[in-house]
Amino acid sequence: MKKIINHPDHVVTEMLEGIALAHPEVVYFKEAEVIARKEKSIKVGLVSGGGSGHEPSHAGYVGKGMLDAAVAGNVFASPSPDRVLKGIQEANGGKGVLLIIKNYSGDIMNFQMAQELAEMEGIEVDHVVVKDDVAVPDSTYSTGRRGIAGTVFVHKVAGAKAETGASLQEVKQVAEKTIANIRSMGMAMSSCVLPGVGTPSFTLGADEIEIGMGIHGEPGIEKSPVLPAKEIAKKLVEPILNDFEKMSGEVAVMVNGLGATPLMELYILFKEVTELLKQHDISIYRAYVGNFMTALEMSGASLTLLNLDEELKALLDAPCQTPAMKG
Amino acid sequence: MMSFQLKLTNEQYLLYLEAFMKKLEKEKDYITQLDSVTGDGDHWVNMDMGFRKLIDQKSDLEAVTFGEMFKKIGMTIMSTVGGSSGVLYGSGYIRAAQTVGDLQELDAAKLADMLQAFLNAIMERGKAKPGDKTMIDTLHGGVESMRQKLAENAGDAEVLRALKSGALAGMESTKEMEAAKGRAYYQTNKGVGNLDPGAVTMYYQIEALVDVLMSDQR
Repeated sequence: MKKIINHPDHVVTEMLEGIALAHPEVVYFKEAEVIARKEKSIKVGLVSGGGSGHEPSHAGYVGKGMLDAAVAGNVFASPSPDRVLKGIQEANGGKGVLLIIKNYSGDIMNFQMAQELAEMEGIEVDHVVVKDDVAVPDSTYSTGRRGIAGTVFVHKVAGAKAETGASLQEVKQVAEKTIANIRSMGMAMSSCVLPGVGTPSFTLGADEIEIGMGIHGEPGIEKSPVLPAKEIAKKLVEPILNDFEKMSGEVAVMVNGLGATPLMELYILFKEVTELLKQHDISIYRAYVGNFMTALEMSGASLTLLNLDEELKALLDAPCQTPAMKG
Repeated sequence: MMSFQLKLTNEQYLLYLEAFMKKLEKEKDYITQLDSVTGDGDHWVNMDMGFRKLIDQKSDLEAVTFGEMFKKIGMTIMSTVGGSSGVLYGSGYIRAAQTVGDLQELDAAKLADMLQAFLNAIMERGKAKPGDKTMIDTLHGGVESMRQKLAENAGDAEVLRALKSGALAGMESTKEMEAAKGRAYYQTNKGVGNLDPGAVTMYYQIEALVDVLMSDQR
């Protein structure tokens, strides 16, 4: 294992210390592993979080127009309820707190238990669950669809809504509308190495890629030999478009790198996605190309489409000022 | 053979935690490999971190009631293990703490009650049941066969052996199950053909507990 670390047990703490040092507008709460806004305001608080290793998710999205606090777990493991509770307390400006949870068993259990603890303290808390990964069939009896990079759109839209002074229920509603309108699909080309484990989490052959792979290396739906960008784009775009019941014709597009993929390749993929969408008469209102939700040093990318209406467009366009997203 | 009377003490529980820790350390590669096949490979790392912390804080767990000890264990595991295992074990221990209250030692029936409470808490928090390919299958298997022996008025040694063998059978049953919860669910084959790593580490705990208790039997 080659990593720029001091000790595998300290990666989360030292990373968050680094984030707080680099971005003085956020404050770090050691032990709880929470990054929160330094400047508080009276509005609905937004909290997200999850296992570490997906940076800039979620600490990078703490700031004006997005989250109020992000709670970090160990690498790929949900933060515990006591940590999430600290995040809720820091985000609480008196108008209630909305938790944005990615759909994984561990995250759901820990965040819900934290919600119960916060409610016992008299803080009004509600939550939404993001499940955007079309590689997994949706299901009510089981864990169901995973939450991946589309979560960043939920942070952006709900964050903008909260800044308008909207109520907890209004913010929740727009978050749910966003969730209903996002679909994502990923692909991976090589594995990642958990600092505490030291060896790759899975193996792909030298010329092999995996379509539909999750951001923790969960298996996808198809292994194939390396394909040209054009073909990869097709394998991501088609299942997403097939999954939408209806579309407005205008989308926000996110091409997200998983950690080890050069921006050059992400832009090539974006260009191919643009052409495919054009063939389907879908226009791109706003594009995001970069590393938004990574998987340590996994190489590969995910594509997210957010089907837009006027309200979502306005909220996407609203200003934000966070370490990882500005505009 | 003199009949063996189970009296689980605080001291024995700490010995058990150390025995489990030793087993866990030994099986690092096996557990991580199991978890890499069906999950994301972090189960061992997180369990190890949590239980190591417990052993480090062992002095806090000495000379307290079972209720206090379980509550402390639950809070420590919850905050250090994280992930699914942390909140599930945390919920289990906290519920178990309520069951044992201020007792200083547990007999076989009380141990069964404590494990049942632990199991119920995990099932409620995880919204899961036996057959979902999780640690529940191990614990459920153990508790059921233990309860059966208790109902038959079997001796404590037999009750403990039943706990261990039932847990082993429960663990082994996860091999052919389809996962409904957790990350194994995302596998195309739902993890069929592989043991659930959480079921295996749960078995290591029951095995270590029974072995520590039985080692007093001479």
